[in-house]
Amino acid sequence: MSRVIIGLSASPGVIVGKVHLLKWELPVVRHRIISDDEIQSELGRFESAVKQAIVRLEHIRTRAAHNAGEEEAAIFDVQLTILADAELLENVRNLIRQNLAAERAFDLVMVDWRQSFARHPHAMLRERVNDLVDVQIRVLSLLMGLDDHDPVDLPKGSNAILVTHDLTPSLTVQLDREAIIGIATDEGTRTSHVAILARSLGLPAVVGLRDATQRVIAGERAILDGSHGILIVDPSDERVAVYQERAVREEAEDAQLRSIASADAVTVDATRITIYTNVDLPEEADQAANSGAEGVGLMRTEFLIVGRASAPDEEEQYRAYSKVIKAFKGETVIIRTFDVGGDKLPIGGFPAEANPFLGWRAIRMCLDQPEFFKVQLRALLRAAVHGNVKIMFPLIVSLDEFRRAKLLLEESKIELTARGVEFNHNVPLGAMIETPAAAISLDSLADEVEFFSIGTNDLVQYTLAVDRGNANLVNRFTPLHPSILRLIKNSVDMANTAGVPIGVCGEMASQPLLAFVLIGLGVRQLSVSPRSVGLIKRVIRGIEESTAFEAANNALKAKTAAEAENILREALSRTFNDPNILTHGLPMDPEEAENLNS
Amino acid sequence: MSEKTVQIINKHGLHARPAAEIVKTAGKFQSEITIVREDLEVNGKSIMGVMMLAAECGATITLKATGPDEAEAVEALVALVEAKFGEQ
Repeated sequence: MSRVIIGLSASPGVIVGKVHLLKWELPVVRHRIISDDEIQSELGRFESAVKQAIVRLEHIRTRAAHNAGEEEAAIFDVQLTILADAELLENVRNLIRQNLAAERAFDLVMVDWRQSFARHPHAMLRERVNDLVDVQIRVLSLLMGLDDHDPVDLPKGSNAILVTHDLTPSLTVQLDREAIIGIATDEGTRTSHVAILARSLGLPAVVGLRDATQRVIAGERAILDGSHGILIVDPSDERVAVYQERAVREEAEDAQLRSIASADAVTVDATRITIYTNVDLPEEADQAANSGAEGVGLMRTEFLIVGRASAPDEEEQYRAYSKVIKAFKGETVIIRTFDVGGDKLPIGGFPAEANPFLGWRAIRMCLDQPEFFKVQLRALLRAAVHGNVKIMFPLIVSLDEFRRAKLLLEESKIELTARGVEFNHNVPLGAMIETPAAAISLDSLADEVEFFSIGTNDLVQYTLAVDRGNANLVNRFTPLHPSILRLIKNSVDMANTAGVPIGVCGEMASQPLLAFVLIGLGVRQLSVSPRSVGLIKRVIRGIEESTAFEAANNALKAKTAAEAENILREALSRTFNDPNILTHGLPMDPEEAENLNS
Repeated sequence: MSEKTVQIINKHGLHARPAAEIVKTAGKFQSEITIVREDLEVNGKSIMGVMMLAAECGATITLKATGPDEAEAVEALVALVEAKFGEQ
């Protein structure tokens, strides 16, 4: 029976493949008491499960090293040392000797360890919770006779659609792109890391499917429509034919957009817009440099630390930054310092802070750990000799923070000078505008900040008090809310008055309708995903700046996001007769998607 | 009981690899080994325990051993810390 499961578009593309169900989640462990006679055999059962887990991990480690590299594979070394921990093993044995079944004893000890790590003040240790969870799942699966779901053994050419609850870093490094052609997850949103990763790998992905793992059977044929956020399980042959045709058409559209990508981004009435692109991983640098963008508006650096066993040293960071800077051959490259915390320090289900997005994250965490932060700053200053680099600090709320960051940069320069190392002495420093606080009082920053960049994801989240990672709040995450449009308008006006350049680097810039309103609000620099460069340039080359200005002014007067959207949609559709472009990158109308069921 | 207080002097502190070195060395001795940092005391033969200390460069820890080879155990661990775990 054909089933349509609706989620969120995370990475575009349509594929037909076979479901590979990966149930990588903690099983429910029942309390089970054993008799004194069973203690010996239960101890033996535990030893053998640990041994099997070690053999399995060593195998996975070898495969991951082959597929993803030695540095990535090191994530499994930590898991191997956990399984060799004398205290952990002895605690489990003691509980078994007190008549607890092996799986229950192991579960209790691991829960205890996880809690101590999750509450640890040190971020690097909180991150270890992921490894503990992985080890816990692996050993429990062996003790309870559950299926082994490791994705690592899929043969090449399997055309597998990976369906899983959530993609942990250790699962991510096991992804074999020659076997897996698409990703579908219960959790996640457009801006969560599964989505960003899938886009950077060019794998179609749908996230936020809620209960997909409960509704699919391993091996079923399925259509994954990453462009509209839909997973269709066990489709009819007719449906498959329709989708295959659509895949061909989308490919042709993409080819057309790619041909526009190298053109100038100038409106019909000659307003020049600068189009930069976003880079998440150094490996994407060449692809991004060929995207038609004029530089990098946002290079994220979190991938250097998230999911890693230890912080990368200055050399490794220097190499990663240099790779991107060199690929852009003298064009602007804006690099954002570590934006960790919030959803980017995955900590295995239970938060160490009650409100992580309001907590110790981004520039706050970096300022409080100056030695850690200065490693990054030194690497950036050194890499900056290879091109036109600017450094941007995330989540700046007040001028004090910017000044402290600047001070640490000066200290880093002194340290590099003392070492006699070559570096760029004049790297411009910018601040991200991501909170209502920064947007409202942007003028207080403008005397000392050399450029601004509006991060729309966080600005929407903090202004509307809507967690962008919460799948239940998706409909409330509305970038066209009157408050957001006004904050952006005020920010642009204040920056212009002060003569400080301002751009937008969030997801918002990659969607035609939203790019249209941003230009109308006075934004002249957009940073979009590499795939969206052609699309956004096509929009810009088709509109008049005066039309966008008028539409934005009308949208500013709207009382709701829906009203603003209608105003903009109508204005933009007068310019474009192709209705596809308006919805490109936007989620499919739920009603339209429901119709697919009939 | 034998004990000695030392300062962590390697650049990255007791992260995963140095913690594993400590546990490996501690495991060679019969004595019970604990490590104390401020108000936290952990089993020196447990990698997770040692990592929990989150002892960064400059932190002070106390190595304690109780048992037949306690003096040698403390001596070996101190040597390891002072040799910066073989880091550059």
